[in-house]
Amino acid sequence: MIRVENLNVTFGDGENSVQAVRNASFTVAEGESFGLVGESGSGKSTVLKAIAGLHSHWTGSIEVDGMALKQKRPRAFRKLLQMVFQDPFGSLHPRHTVDATLKEPLAIHRFDNPEQRILKALDDVGLGPEFRFRYPHQLSGGQRQRIAIARALILEPRVVLLDEPTSALDVSVQAEILNLLVRLRKEQGLTYVMVSHNLAVVAHLCERIAVMNRGVFIEEMTDEQLRSSTPSHGYTRQLLVASKGYDRKAIDRFVEFT
Amino acid sequence: MSNLLDVENLRVKFPTRSGVFEAVRGISFSLNQERLGIVGESGSGKTLTGRAILRLIKRPGVVEADRIDLDGKDILRIPEEEMQAVRGKRISMIMQDPQYSLNPVMTVGSQIAEAYRVHSKASKPEARDRTLDMLETVRIREPEKVYHLYPHEVSGGMGQRIMIAMMLIPEPDLLIADEPTSALDVTVQLQVLALIDDMVRERGMGLILISHDLNLVASFCDRVLVMYGGRIMETLDAKDLHNAQHPYTRGLLDCLPRLDGSHGELQVLKRDPAWLEA
Repeated sequence: MIRVENLNVTFGDGENSVQAVRNASFTVAEGESFGLVGESGSGKSTVLKAIAGLHSHWTGSIEVDGMALKQKRPRAFRKLLQMVFQDPFGSLHPRHTVDATLKEPLAIHRFDNPEQRILKALDDVGLGPEFRFRYPHQLSGGQRQRIAIARALILEPRVVLLDEPTSALDVSVQAEILNLLVRLRKEQGLTYVMVSHNLAVVAHLCERIAVMNRGVFIEEMTDEQLRSSTPSHGYTRQLLVASKGYDRKAIDRFVEFT
Repeated sequence: MSNLLDVENLRVKFPTRSGVFEAVRGISFSLNQERLGIVGESGSGKTLTGRAILRLIKRPGVVEADRIDLDGKDILRIPEEEMQAVRGKRISMIMQDPQYSLNPVMTVGSQIAEAYRVHSKASKPEARDRTLDMLETVRIREPEKVYHLYPHEVSGGMGQRIMIAMMLIPEPDLLIADEPTSALDVTVQLQVLALIDDMVRERGMGLILISHDLNLVASFCDRVLVMYGGRIMETLDAKDLHNAQHPYTRGLLDCLPRLDGSHGELQVLKRDPAWLEA
C-alpha cells in the first residue's frame, strides 16, 4: 500500500541546514498497521508529514496505492489518505461547528448525501447526533479527538496516518480512542501508519514497528519481538528499559546514541 | 513531633455564574522526609493542591483549610510578606513547562542567581559562583556558556534542569514538582527524575511529585495519593500500587496498554458517581 524509498528531508540550507530524515525506506502492506517510534527530534513525524504532502522539501520516492507521488498531490490522493493529528485542541477550527468541520471535506470531494454521511461518521466514532452542532470548546479532549477521526474517515480513505493520536489525552480516554481505532480498522479494512513515543501504545495497535533515532531507521521488528524484549539494537533496548519505569541503577547506564 | 507538612481539610473553590465550583474538596494528608506522589487525571485537582500549599491560587479562587502547617507552624494565615520568605526558601515548586515558567528576557544564569540572592545576603559575584556550581550539580555541561543563554536557546531537558537548579539553590525543605518531566523524552525524563531523587536524598528534603503517570509514580515514590474529582480516593505505599483495591485506581491501571499484553480490547474506565460523594 505504501512504499517509501531513500526518503531524505532537509530543512534550511547551507550551514544551518538540518537533515531531519536520512535514507528512510519501508513498505506497508494493505490492511497492515505500521508503527514508528522514537524520541523527539528523531524525524518520525517528519516522515508522516512527507507522506501526507505537508512537507515538500523531500527527495527519494514515495508511492501510495501504486501512485508515485510528487510534491504536489492530486485531489484523489486526499480521498485515499487522511491524517489525524496529536493535539485535538489545535487541529479543529475553533469557530466551526462539528457539522461545518465534517461538511467541508464532503463538499470539496463532491460527495452525495452529506446529511446521512455526517450522522454515520458521528455514529462510527461513538458520538450521538446531539454533538453535531457543538463547537470544539464545548467538547472534551477525547470527544475532540473523535471528531478529528470522524473528519479523517468521512472521505472513506484507505490509509490513515496517525501522529501521536492519544498523547494529549488522559489514560482512560486513551484506552477509548485506541479501542475505537482498532474497531474502525477492522470494520473498514484501513491501513494505519502511526507515530508515537509510547512503546506500549505502538505495540498495542501495530503489527510491525520501526525505531528511529536522529533521522535514521535503526531497526524494524514485529510487535512480538518488541514484547519479548529482544530488539537487536542497543538504542531500542534502552528505550524499553526506560519505558518500564524508574530504576535508579539502570539510569546511570544510559548512553547517548548518535 | 510535628510533621514537615500537615494539610487538613483543604478546599479550593472558584465562584462561577452557576454557583461555586469546588475543585479540591476537603483533602488531608501529611508529609515527612519522603517522596509522596499525587496521581490523577486532568481536572482531578492535583495541581491546584500543589499551588494551594504555596498560596499561589489567584483571585477569585479561594483556598480554605482547617490547617496547612509547615513544621507545625501555620502558613495559611500568615501575612503575604512572610509567605514570600516561605516560597523558595522553605517550599519551592518546579512547574510543568520550563519554556513558560522561565523569564524569556533574562539569561538563565541571572535568573538562578536572583533566586539565590532573594533569600540570602550574598553579593553578586558570590551568587554567580553558587549558580555555576548549581548548574554543574544538575549536570549541565559547560555551565559558563549556559549561564549566558536565554531560555529559548536551551532544549526542553536542559530547561527543566535549569528550573531544578533555580528551585534548589535556596535549599528548601520541601520540593513540589508538578509534572516536572511530562514534556520530556522517556530517557531524559528518567535522568531528570534521578537528579531530583539524588538531591532529595542528599539534602533530606520532602518531595511531592504530581503526575498523571501511574507507573512512573509507582516506581519512583514511597507513598501515593490517588485523586479524583478533587478528593483523595486512596493513599497507599507505592510498592502496593499494582495491587490497589479502589475501583478507580484499578480502572486507571487496567486501561493502560501493556508491553506484555495482547492486541485485545483495552478495559475502559467506568466512573462511579459515588466516588464524588463524601
